[in-house]
Amino acid sequence: MKKFLVTFLTVLLGGAIVAGVGVFNAVQQEAPPVLVANVVGTKTAPSGEEMPHAELYLDVYPNSSSQVPQPETKSPINNLLLAGQPFYHPSTSLQVPSNSLVTIHFRQYDSGGQIYNPYFSKVHGTVDGTMKWNGEEVTEIKPDEVGHTFTVHQYPESTQPYFFMSIPLPMNKANAKTDKMGYPVDPQIVSVTFMTGDAGSYVWNCEFPCGDLYQEFGGPMQTRGWMAGTFDVVDA
Amino acid sequence: MSVDTAVETKTVFGAEVPQPPQHGAAGGVMRGLNFGTGLIGGIGLAAVAGWVTAILTPSSASNASFAPMEPTYVYLAVLLGWVVGFMLGMGAFVGPLRWVVGRDITHADAEYMAGKDLGRKRYWKYTTDHKVVGIQYLVVTLFILGFAGLLAMLIRTELGMTWTSLFTPSFYNSMIGTHGIAMIIGMIVVISGPLGNFIVPMMIGARDMAYPRLNALSVWLLVAAVPMLVSSMFMGGIQDGWSVYQPLASQAPVGMLGYQMTIIIFAISTAIASVNLMTTILTMRAKGMTWSRTPIFVYGIFAASVMGLYAFPFFQYAQILGLTDRVFSTSFFDPLNGGSVWLYENLFWLLGHPEVYVILIPSMAVALELMPVFLRKPLFSFNFAVAGIVGVVALSGLVWAHHMYMTGWAPAANYPFMLSTEMISIPVGFLVLVAIGTFWRGTAWTRLPLMAVYAVIFNKMIGGVTGVYLSDVPADQYFHGSMFVVAHFHFMLMGAGLFGAMAGIAFFFPKMTGRILDERVGSIGLWTAFIGFQITFISMFVAGLQGQPRRVLDFDDQFNLSNWISTIGAYIIGIGMLIFLSAIITSWRSGVIASSNPWGSKSLEWQTETPVPLENFPVLPVVTERPYNYGVPDPYEAELESIDEDLTEKAGTK
Amino acid sequence: MSADTLIPEEPEAPTNRPPSMERVRSWLQRPYARKILILTVVIGFLLLPLAWLLLAAMNQTGAPASEIMKDIEQTVFVFTLVSIPITAFVFAVLVYSLIGWRQISGDEPPMQDSPAIRTNTIGVILWTVASSLLAMFLVVWGLVELAQITANSYGSISADEQPGQKSSEIINVTGQQWVWTFEYPEHNGLTSDILYLPLDRPVYFNVTSKDVIHNFWAVELGVKIDANPGAITQTGVTANKLGTFNVRCAELCGMHHAFMQTQIQVLEQDAFDSWVRESGGKKTS
Repeated sequence: MKKFLVTFLTVLLGGAIVAGVGVFNAVQQEAPPVLVANVVGTKTAPSGEEMPHAELYLDVYPNSSSQVPQPETKSPINNLLLAGQPFYHPSTSLQVPSNSLVTIHFRQYDSGGQIYNPYFSKVHGTVDGTMKWNGEEVTEIKPDEVGHTFTVHQYPESTQPYFFMSIPLPMNKANAKTDKMGYPVDPQIVSVTFMTGDAGSYVWNCEFPCGDLYQEFGGPMQTRGWMAGTFDVVDA
Repeated sequence: MSVDTAVETKTVFGAEVPQPPQHGAAGGVMRGLNFGTGLIGGIGLAAVAGWVTAILTPSSASNASFAPMEPTYVYLAVLLGWVVGFMLGMGAFVGPLRWVVGRDITHADAEYMAGKDLGRKRYWKYTTDHKVVGIQYLVVTLFILGFAGLLAMLIRTELGMTWTSLFTPSFYNSMIGTHGIAMIIGMIVVISGPLGNFIVPMMIGARDMAYPRLNALSVWLLVAAVPMLVSSMFMGGIQDGWSVYQPLASQAPVGMLGYQMTIIIFAISTAIASVNLMTTILTMRAKGMTWSRTPIFVYGIFAASVMGLYAFPFFQYAQILGLTDRVFSTSFFDPLNGGSVWLYENLFWLLGHPEVYVILIPSMAVALELMPVFLRKPLFSFNFAVAGIVGVVALSGLVWAHHMYMTGWAPAANYPFMLSTEMISIPVGFLVLVAIGTFWRGTAWTRLPLMAVYAVIFNKMIGGVTGVYLSDVPADQYFHGSMFVVAHFHFMLMGAGLFGAMAGIAFFFPKMTGRILDERVGSIGLWTAFIGFQITFISMFVAGLQGQPRRVLDFDDQFNLSNWISTIGAYIIGIGMLIFLSAIITSWRSGVIASSNPWGSKSLEWQTETPVPLENFPVLPVVTERPYNYGVPDPYEAELESIDEDLTEKAGTK
Repeated sequence: MSADTLIPEEPEAPTNRPPSMERVRSWLQRPYARKILILTVVIGFLLLPLAWLLLAAMNQTGAPASEIMKDIEQTVFVFTLVSIPITAFVFAVLVYSLIGWRQISGDEPPMQDSPAIRTNTIGVILWTVASSLLAMFLVVWGLVELAQITANSYGSISADEQPGQKSSEIINVTGQQWVWTFEYPEHNGLTSDILYLPLDRPVYFNVTSKDVIHNFWAVELGVKIDANPGAITQTGVTANKLGTFNVRCAELCGMHHAFMQTQIQVLEQDAFDSWVRESGGKKTS
């Protein structure tokens, strides 16, 4: 029957178009390469328990340069619109081991200013609620001197442990000495240690208005690879 | 309705009317213009406008919140260039330009524009014949619905893949926004466009629409608007849902301009089409076609035109304000600079709710129109059908704030808006009554169009009852913004709207294409889609009841099961719709040739020959009867009368 | 069936009845009438479990955890019950139309027309009255419930129960792309990312947003209100069930809208107090 053949072909073609467009877009939006926190030894938790200890290094740049390339993206319009915008480096897809102590070392090269919500100028969710800022232990920074924040929050799964962590990254002063790329010679060094629970998937984003458009929350703030990403806790 | 051809009407032919002098061949410059030159003009002018703007704008230009403005200006210039260039290339400005230089379109030009002797070429031109416009609308609408359906499949795929993410959240958000607005545009035109233009003039016994050139303008403006919407997908997308609430829309990438321009142009197209349909229906009905002899479908199209005419300006206005906020840094909707987010919501829903009825009323009207033909009995209580339509139109503008119960804009206004919203169930109920009254004791000729009506009424009941929960503020406090709402409006817009459109297309297919829509393949498609539809949206109701918010791509595991089922159902809908589409395509190309009146209808549009001649009727018909004059005397009536007589007799003897 | 058989045997009975009753009797004796009524009842009973199934779906994660949520569920329950008869009737007609009244297929229009019923005054009046009464009932029910919920939340609460009283708790809810924060101004501005609520005490929410529109939805408590930038919206609730519940954002707010969720912990007064102490807030009561 010819007409049923045509029908069959129409369905097949329609399915192929859907699959094609879907695969094309899925490939286009591949997440940045996963940055894995490697276990470097063990560390003593406040409870006195010995736990695996992993470390992760993240930098925040105010813009790309010949020294630090812009995050990779296959979307031409993103390349155009997000040129010269701040981003986390080297990746925003993070992976840390479960039931361990994880230390993240941040180097923050960007300027900053007043944050909308002072809650995010405080440290939340780390071991004993502190972070190390340029060698000093602090629990909060001034709300008008924030550069960026690293805020991990709940993924909507009730089956995984609740997890909330927010680290304020202080700003560099406008008169800070810079190298020829325009980056401060002495970036703000922040390191935090936190404890992970069981495995789970979370997301993180910056809570400091560092993008563009309304409330400076557009552009890089709403693009994974720039100021937002994923945070996976996985079993080793 | 029978046609009284005995009455002679004197027709004044064009040749007798004094004509302006003819310059050159008929059609003039329009002979060389068609869709191809439209594309060339549009792309050419878009490129030039974009290039000039790029040169003129300093690359460092940015607004107060550090957004680089160059992409915005260039994209806007490209969109404007596209619309103007496309319409120029299509020949939309030929008539007005001739007036400017003091000439007019001659009779020969007008006949050329109506597509006389142009064969298939006329479908690719700025043709004024309402039948050509109807076919053009049909093809454009099918394209829009296909595009939006493709996005629907991708959305459901993402939601079904609960273990991973296929797309980024930004792209997911842009898909739901584009799916929403494309479906809304498609559903608004799917009946009023193809059937309103092709069928209504014939149904009322007219030779064409009141303003044939505006008719062509409205369809080609729609064609110009669609690529802008598609293009926004490549410019960062519409990441804010179809309602693009401000100020979130101000944060979206430049793709938002594509949405705003689409709406601005589409609103113009809708306004023109509405005015045209209203004028045609008001002034061009055949001799003898009083309001009580006018078919219900004509009422439905008229009602949709009225609502579209008053509702769309609100939407257009909102988008113009949003566009200036973005491009010129005004602050109409910027709450931090004295703007109001509630202003946007009000303007949006002043469109948003009447628009639901712009979709539903034509669909119900087409269902009621074809039921008498297949049940071979008159429409039950014609007056009630009219009252229902009038009631819906009257209340349609008074219910918009039920979308804003939870905004905190005016808590005290929740009481009156709840009242008006629940009142609207009464006129909608009238339409249901007319439908079941027409089914009542009818011998159903179970052809595809009538079977689709069963689907429409079934879906409409579910959509209507769930709408009652949402109209109630306390229940809405739980359901607002949840998947329950999504399932509800899909039952209304798709279950009642789209299945109604399928009924209408299947019913009028023989008149529009000269061939019968393949019954077997079409039915398989319809019922596959119907079953898939129930699976998809009933499980979506469950997800909403469980508390899944709408517009989320990741959710708690407790919603997984309902989403898996929903996704499977969506694929079944997709397959069903493709089967239906293949029925349209194969039947259109090589279906069974239809006689001029294959359904045995008594309505005017079926009385003329198929394919329909250029001016529809050789002699304008005169209407002498009420519509839907089918049926045999009711045997029970005689019975009841005898009871009455009997009773009277007994009372007399006592 | 001839007209004669429709007339009852006893001569006395019909004479003192009004003719309309006779019409109803004769209508009921038509072959399809009773079948449709029976079908309506059957479909109605088949739909009846929905009233409980809807609530079961809503209660999956521990609802109702407040009076407000109870009111909402009651409304859903009642609305389901009242809409079942009319839905069942329409479905019954649809079903009977396909199986009861004759149906024909074929390519040619049927030769035999159906009865020309242009209208039916009794039917139309019945439908109009019934649907109007139903709409009236829904409106009245809705208005009463709305007033009650408003009273339960904030609006018409009496002066001695206004916020600021020791028995109540004020919480400033702030939505921000894409995190909720909850400030307890009566406890030294203590702020949290989890919503802690004391059991059986009224809490009042002042909801606002730092950027775009969010919607504060405390799912199991039945609280829902937009968080608007540049405006404060107010609502309230009394949690009456211990447990962990969900806050979800119910208004699309950008990229991480799906992830703008957090927990509600309803605690006993003692546990709530000790949480306040441990988190650095002063206990004011």
